[in-house]
Amino acid sequence: MALNGLKANLFRRYLTWLTRPVRIKKHLSSTLPVKKDPAPVDRRRIRAAALQLEFRLFKNPLDYAEEMCRQTAKAAAEGAQLAVFPEYNNLQLLGMLPGIEKVEEGSEEDVSLPDLFRYLSPVVEPLVHTLFANLASAYGLYIMAGSYTLSDREELVNRAFLYNPSGELAVTQDKVNLLPMEEEWNIKRGRSFSVCATPLGNLGFPVCMDATYYETFRTLELSGADIVLLPIANLEAYNFWLALRGIWPRVQESPVYGIKGALVGTVAGFSFTGKAGIFAPLELTAGRDGVLAEAQSHDQEAMAVADLDLEALHDLRADHPWRDINLPLYRRYFPEIYGSPGG
Amino acid sequence: MRAAAFSLAGINLNTLTEYRADLTRLIESSRPELAVLPAYSALALGLGTGAFVPGPDFPATFYIFSADIQGWNDIFLELHGGLAREQRISLAAGSTIELDKGRYYHTAYCFDPAGELCCRQRQTHLTRAERDYDFDRGEELFLFDLEGADGNIYKTGLVVGNDARHPEVGRIMACRGADLLLHSGALKAGPNCWRQAAGMWSQVQQNQFFAVEAQFCGNIAGEEFGAGSALIAPCEITPESSGYLARGYPETPVISARFAQGDRRQIKQKYPILDLLNREAYAGLLHLYSDREKGEE
Repeated sequence: MALNGLKANLFRRYLTWLTRPVRIKKHLSSTLPVKKDPAPVDRRRIRAAALQLEFRLFKNPLDYAEEMCRQTAKAAAEGAQLAVFPEYNNLQLLGMLPGIEKVEEGSEEDVSLPDLFRYLSPVVEPLVHTLFANLASAYGLYIMAGSYTLSDREELVNRAFLYNPSGELAVTQDKVNLLPMEEEWNIKRGRSFSVCATPLGNLGFPVCMDATYYETFRTLELSGADIVLLPIANLEAYNFWLALRGIWPRVQESPVYGIKGALVGTVAGFSFTGKAGIFAPLELTAGRDGVLAEAQSHDQEAMAVADLDLEALHDLRADHPWRDINLPLYRRYFPEIYGSPGG
Repeated sequence: MRAAAFSLAGINLNTLTEYRADLTRLIESSRPELAVLPAYSALALGLGTGAFVPGPDFPATFYIFSADIQGWNDIFLELHGGLAREQRISLAAGSTIELDKGRYYHTAYCFDPAGELCCRQRQTHLTRAERDYDFDRGEELFLFDLEGADGNIYKTGLVVGNDARHPEVGRIMACRGADLLLHSGALKAGPNCWRQAAGMWSQVQQNQFFAVEAQFCGNIAGEEFGAGSALIAPCEITPESSGYLARGYPETPVISARFAQGDRRQIKQKYPILDLLNREAYAGLLHLYSDREKGEE
């Protein structure tokens, strides 16, 4: 499968036609509920849903749309005001490419995954916008739609999207810290973290590997974030301790709520594992274990739902038993570690 | 390098001689090159030997202890320097209160196998209670060389008390080349396993160094302390990927394990977490802390 020939260009035109907004909207119109106003916000009880999607390849983009719709409906049925999808939520759309299974199995085709991401980007991005804007609006939810590998001019980015209940794209976030594999793919690193003020609290949404580092959640918390949404797609065998690294310790270090959406399942020898979950500082969880809700399975579809109490979070922060800031210490060492802004 | 963490559980604190004899027996049974004692070791020993009379509660006892600390610290440090020399081990002696120019610090000390003081580290992040005690914060983090019998030099730092919950400490030390951190801790008795995982365990996983976590087990002025000590390494080089090479119950007097520097280097080479950190993205962090502190004033 060469991606720069006439056939490839024609095929992409065909995919663009298949995923044109009017067609997606029309298809969804038979499935979506009548547009719902967002539920009134009680800051002591923000209901959130962390989605765990099972990876499968969709040949037909309408099937993908239906699947995302089904997941959103599931969250909405639980009363969720906020839903979080996983990282690499575009991988499933590789199924639109005929012969993709052969490429994945390591056939002789001289096409890399980044080539495929670039090729599909003009198709995937409008599809995602149309789809999630309509889902957010119809169900009256905030949706963090997960992350997508897309072209940004000449480069690739791993970009996450947040949609508000008015059906608008509120803000985007590029992955800032990359896996070695992503560096090999020449994905462009994000440069900063966004915080989006909403009636549900201030939301930040770094991407997967960003949660390896305490600095990410510290930056977000100091920038005002109350809830951090994290899409993940972990390509490793499940192990409790390995999975504990990431959002759980970050939420303990920087008091915020954390919601993790996970991609799981096996396709063509690639196995994604993880447990979607909702996490909080130890002090705000009944079992003092930092977990409000977590998927039971690490490799099958699931959903975790929990209520977040923003007032309790703010009370904890205001009179925190052990947190401290040591500016002279940071002034001594941070410039050497992180450099200076703009420097 | 073989390292051991001591909780002081079961150690006779009634006299300096008995304390030294009990500690010697435990060191000889676990045969470490490096031994780490928990936080509050000087306070527990001072109260146990009767050098200090406890107050009605823990805070009052702390004030009594602080008021007349200098002489006791000389005894405490001499004892542990001598023990290190006698056993030919590196010995992190736990912590005491340090008085310097009218300011009080919660400070840990480490002696080399010659019995010389090789590191003094003040706690850099205080709990709300410690701020109420009028403690001051240390403003520097120190690393020293510790030579293992395996021929490796371990760049080593001390982590005192509440600093275990502040990842800035581990990151600064890691970026300055730390291979091993020695934590002297004391947590009030209770369900501590998740608090501990949120502390040194998390710091190890996001920096890929080794850590010895020695947690105090005992009663000070009616306050019960108890958390399990641990020897921690990156998950990938530990049994069942747990991140623990050894783990004790609060009342376990000593645990020990061997650190394999070669295995750790391999992991760091395969998955170099600190090299992958996009440092420039966090250049504004200092300003954010500064703004937060101004906002709190």
